[in-house]
Amino acid sequence: MSIVIIGTGPAGRAAASVLPQAVVIARPDATAWHAEPGLVWVEDAAGIRAVPFARLLLAADEPLLLLALDCAFADGRPVVGPSGETSQAGIFAAGVVLGATTAEEAARQGAIAARVLAGLPPEGAIATPPPRPLPEVARLDPLAVAQLLESPPGTERSAAALAQAGLRGGRLTSVVAPARNAGFAALAALAPAVLTPRGAQPDAERL
Amino acid sequence: MTPEVIVVGGGLHGLSAALHIARRGKRVLVLEKDRVAAHASSYSAGGVRTLGRHMAEVPLAVESLALWHRIGDLVGDDCDFHATGHVKVAESAAELAELEARATAMRAAGWTHEEVVDRAGLRRLLPAVADHAVGGLVARDNGFARPYQTAQAFRRAAEAAGAEIREGAAVLGLDRRDALWEVRCADGSTHRAPVLVNTAGAWGARLARSVGEEIPLGFNAFMMIYTSALPAFVTPVVGLTGRPMSFKQAPTGHVMIGGGHKGVADLDSGRVQLDVERLAFSARTALDVFPILREARLVHAWAGIEGVLPDEIPVIGLSRTQPGLVHAFGFCGHGFELGPIMGGIVAQLALDGATNWPIAAFAPDRFATAAAPGGALLQPAG
Repeated sequence: MSIVIIGTGPAGRAAASVLPQAVVIARPDATAWHAEPGLVWVEDAAGIRAVPFARLLLAADEPLLLLALDCAFADGRPVVGPSGETSQAGIFAAGVVLGATTAEEAARQGAIAARVLAGLPPEGAIATPPPRPLPEVARLDPLAVAQLLESPPGTERSAAALAQAGLRGGRLTSVVAPARNAGFAALAALAPAVLTPRGAQPDAERL
Repeated sequence: MTPEVIVVGGGLHGLSAALHIARRGKRVLVLEKDRVAAHASSYSAGGVRTLGRHMAEVPLAVESLALWHRIGDLVGDDCDFHATGHVKVAESAAELAELEARATAMRAAGWTHEEVVDRAGLRRLLPAVADHAVGGLVARDNGFARPYQTAQAFRRAAEAAGAEIREGAAVLGLDRRDALWEVRCADGSTHRAPVLVNTAGAWGARLARSVGEEIPLGFNAFMMIYTSALPAFVTPVVGLTGRPMSFKQAPTGHVMIGGGHKGVADLDSGRVQLDVERLAFSARTALDVFPILREARLVHAWAGIEGVLPDEIPVIGLSRTQPGLVHAFGFCGHGFELGPIMGGIVAQLALDGATNWPIAAFAPDRFATAAAPGGALLQPAG
């Protein structure tokens, strides 16, 4: 079972020490810019690639990755249980993304989540995260969202993006948006030589 | 309010219908299951395009374009409409021949808005286009607008004219009793009116099916990309002849790339998932045509859910099985431009029982027979 840890701050390091077999993705060497069920999309010096995962621990303040994975949010924070597991089974969060304000607390959360990921009995519990203050916002259209996402990553950008998602039932648009910018040419290089056409999705339901 | 017309679906076409119906002095209620413009109406590419249309759509698209050029008169907002022109690029001699044949067919039908340009003419329009492009087809009075701003403008205008818009009112069931449609909603409300308008977009066939009318509507989640802001390098909206792509640069410098590659949608939840491999294919196509994009960054990607029909033109017309029911849905990813005129057509159908516009090709029951060829070029979504 492949486990991926995103982030090498206190939470990520603590988790990695419990899970030495885990794949660790961290800036500046590699940026996790998007995620979908079972895959984290990463950009590094070699280009863009997909890193598969069966279980994931987000230990960096990248809440848009959790939005992309359809994790539930409340008060600007991912909804987690006592082990840091989000509303999506097998996807965990720990550390600053859950509002940890000290390195010790972040490391404690990382270790708690990692033990559960390793199949060990939990030691301690993660409390309900404190609210992340979100700005009052009006709904933005895709161009304005693009301008928002183009701004430097950080707390302010995340809060503004989460506020937008809150206006859309938890999604940043009708669909998830990439959490970070990605190289356009690197993305293009990922394209297969031939693409099998995807036909229209059928629907036979009634009201 | 006791409505005379109920419109199901608060996208651009539903709002336009409500506007025109209200301006004819009728009481109209819009029922929207989510929020106004929750799907394709906010998340399309905003193309205002007559270029390359299916022949059946051309008369409507040409008239709608005229409305776009004075959109402020209709809705009191410019909708950020820019008449930049549209260009369909030929990447080979064979594709240029296809465009020349199209222009000839259009002229034979009496339409003069599509014009072939050669290699030099293309470069005057698109100085940054790749060397391999050999020419193109141009509609100089086409352009683009901002979809969400447009939908909100239609909403405000409809409400100012007296329309009522009810959000969070998913339709759970409907019956026709005593010459009235009775519509039951998820918010617990029930509404009755003699006329029902179905502008439910990708959900339109569900409504039709519920009253015994089978229409083979599918759905797509057309994906779009915005790159980081770049110096201005392209003014018209660009499509390709042989590959699905729609490409434009916003006044902010951000480049939007869409045109037809699809993610995966869930019609019940309204959720959509990006397909990164297909986004990559769009990116490569755009790079092939505009190498200047090498230095760009992808900053946003999204999709809206759009209803699509097998012959790639919408259903517009009176129900063939039920009295007092008008359908206008399934615009196949290119309904935005038709928004201004569709409201007037739907108002005619709803209030007069007929329209003076040629809509026979869009009949709800046309799928029982083989479709007539429409002569459309490859149509980019949006």
